[in-house]
Amino acid sequence: MEHGKHVFRIVILVVVILTVVLLARGFLVPKTYGLYGRYRGANVGEQMNIRPVMHGGAAACADCHGDQAAKRTAGAHKNVSCEICHGPLGAHVKADGTVVKPPIDRSFTLCARCHRKVAARPAKFPQVDLDQHVNGPVEGKVCLQCHDPHSPKP
Amino acid sequence: MSDCHDGCNGSRREFLSGTLKLAGGAVVTVIGGAALASSGSAAGTGAPLPGGGDYDWNEHLWAYLVDTTKCIGCGSCARACKAENDVPEGFFRTWIERYVVGMDDSHVDSPNGGMDGFPPVQVGFVATKAFFVPKICNHCRATPCTQVCPVGASYRTKDGAVLVDIDSCIGCGYCVQACPYGSRFIHPATHTASKCTWCYHRITKGLKPACVTVCPTQARQFGDLKKDGDPVRAVVEHDRIQILQGHLLTEPQCYYTHLDKEVR
Amino acid sequence: MPEITGFSFPNDIHVTWSLMIVMYPYITGFVAGSFIVTSLYHLFDRQEFKPVARLAMATSFAFLLVASLPLQLHLGQPQRGPFVIITPNFTSAMAGFGILYSFYLLVLVLELWFVWRQEIIDRARRSRGMVRAFYAALALGTYDTSPEAIEIDHKAIKILAGIGLPAACMLHGYVGFIFGAIKANPWWSTPLMPVIFLLSAAVSGIALLILIYQLFARIDRRPVVATCVSALASWLWFFLILTITLEELELIVMAYEKSESWLIISELLTTRLSFSYVTMQMIVGGLIPFILLAVVVLMNRYLHERVRNTLATIAAFLTLIQVFSMRWNIVIGGQLLSKSLRGLRSPYEPEIFGREGVLMAIALFVAPFVILWIFDRVLGIEEPEGAGGHGSPPAGQASAGTPAVTHVP
Repeated sequence: MEHGKHVFRIVILVVVILTVVLLARGFLVPKTYGLYGRYRGANVGEQMNIRPVMHGGAAACADCHGDQAAKRTAGAHKNVSCEICHGPLGAHVKADGTVVKPPIDRSFTLCARCHRKVAARPAKFPQVDLDQHVNGPVEGKVCLQCHDPHSPKP
Repeated sequence: MSDCHDGCNGSRREFLSGTLKLAGGAVVTVIGGAALASSGSAAGTGAPLPGGGDYDWNEHLWAYLVDTTKCIGCGSCARACKAENDVPEGFFRTWIERYVVGMDDSHVDSPNGGMDGFPPVQVGFVATKAFFVPKICNHCRATPCTQVCPVGASYRTKDGAVLVDIDSCIGCGYCVQACPYGSRFIHPATHTASKCTWCYHRITKGLKPACVTVCPTQARQFGDLKKDGDPVRAVVEHDRIQILQGHLLTEPQCYYTHLDKEVR
Repeated sequence: MPEITGFSFPNDIHVTWSLMIVMYPYITGFVAGSFIVTSLYHLFDRQEFKPVARLAMATSFAFLLVASLPLQLHLGQPQRGPFVIITPNFTSAMAGFGILYSFYLLVLVLELWFVWRQEIIDRARRSRGMVRAFYAALALGTYDTSPEAIEIDHKAIKILAGIGLPAACMLHGYVGFIFGAIKANPWWSTPLMPVIFLLSAAVSGIALLILIYQLFARIDRRPVVATCVSALASWLWFFLILTITLEELELIVMAYEKSESWLIISELLTTRLSFSYVTMQMIVGGLIPFILLAVVVLMNRYLHERVRNTLATIAAFLTLIQVFSMRWNIVIGGQLLSKSLRGLRSPYEPEIFGREGVLMAIALFVAPFVILWIFDRVLGIEEPEGAGGHGSPPAGQASAGTPAVTHVP
């Protein structure tokens, strides 16, 4: 193959390029890639602490607000988590311990989200037909004038 | 494998034969060999627990359960999710659908994912039943989304959560296309894929996902299939349960009871 | 906010795959298509394609250099693009693409080098100084143009073309696979998808060569070889028939089966895609060029050369539109449809400026022609006069000892 010199050279060139690419690749693969599977293993741990826990649950609220909690758990709203109406605990008690007053939503829309009569709600669930409520239509009126959200009665 | 350069040893070949049961595998064998060589895969055995804390992902297998008859469509779950996970406006990690169904026609909606609750709706047919269906990532066992991720940025953990590594995600959007449930989206700020994590930062600390924590009617439940006496496990084991789009064989780990045929 | 008819899953209202993902199969199609043409000459000895064989190979190369750009531009994190090669996940069709692309690029560059080696050496001998050093480096420092060396070149070209053709077909078949293997989307999920993509790649490649062959000939004031144009036209006709048949069969099967998705897909085609599918893909880009090419092929003998070239040119131009519409309807159409199979979103309108905009798409389409021009300046696309001439096989080719294959597909 005295005339195949150029073929030999190009083959060497290709092998060199491939080797360089493969070697370079080796340096670029993240350290924990492949630790548990075809992904960066360290990410699992990162995901566990990806952001602070915002919702503490009703029990966490009861630590400070025992009286409200006792009242609520005795009534019809016993399963309604505090954070549904007052927002997440994480926005109320910050990570550094500072306390921010949570919003107190007294609006009609808050109550209507659960209790306005909508066909798709389970029939047993207490719902209000706004056109025929007590003294006629009540759209937009403040429910809290008559109902106590921590211990509501029909 | 003729041009396998630097020593293809037997064990690596065995590993390859396992991973290359896929279209086009043959073409990429050469580079695949090198890929594994450099990643030095221990494939899980003897590797330290992720996170370094007390949580052992080998002891759990999470599952989600939805009882559609209990959902009142208040949208607290979707709002809690947004607050817990900082979900961008107009995108949803969980949402609630409303079905209004008659003998001849059906109507489905989900205004703003159900975040603001549901206003009454007028339909142009005689509705005979209506119900809400909460939706969430199904955390499929045979997940089509992680299958298509070209860089291994999305994966399923040992305890059953499907996650996205936003530091590896290239933002190609292939997983968004591959998810049959519309659970994924490209985050408008990070330009990477985003989705429900079952609040992995909560469940690994012994808490429930935010949506389950706030649900006032226990329509949403979260449980551990590896734990004896777990209520979700009991339902999955003994009751008649349904999954979404079962014909696609994605093996969802989000189970439903009392699902209607209209729900896809 | 896009408007929704029916019900879409709330995350399904975004078109995640933009115009760039339409450009990606479009450009990759030219790579595969023009390689098929060059293979018809280099591999199957179809002499009528000799005038375009080198042009086709250079075209394939020029488009290949651009082919990965639309993907790169589309990525949310473009700087992480190389991860596809660094940490490939082999269950992903897209990771396979990265590797196939690199492999095909390697094969094509090698084949180009063997085909143009004599030319490189000639230029190295003719020039001096820096220019000479450049060509000498390109020639890898060996100036062997003895008949034996040329003989070796021809063998290498044959082998590389033999590897390159399946690689090119795989490359584009894979693009179809990326869509066809998505079971979540009924408008994409069909095993026909890779085949349709491959056939329409052949259509677009041949159509493009009809156009640029005549264009380049006119610029260089060379005569257009009639047999070459009519051969290209008949192959274009053949592939166009196959493509459109399969495109229609896919729909007919879906409609006849009354598959669960047909309801929404028929609505998609008749409302959102009525212009781009029915008008452009089927009538303007399908039926009309089919008729024009039928005239060119069936009445070849009776046509004046200029009439034939004009008809072929118009047909080629229209089929380019057909193929673009097909890419658009697949990529964009598939995203207008929600996976709830209950809703369609309003049509997608690409941005004009910006990374994934219309201007970028035009730039991507023009870039290969700039590359071709540079290629022509550096290496010369056309064979220099006296090195074979039109119609007669080059010395090496004839003595290569391979029987001429005259019947392809």
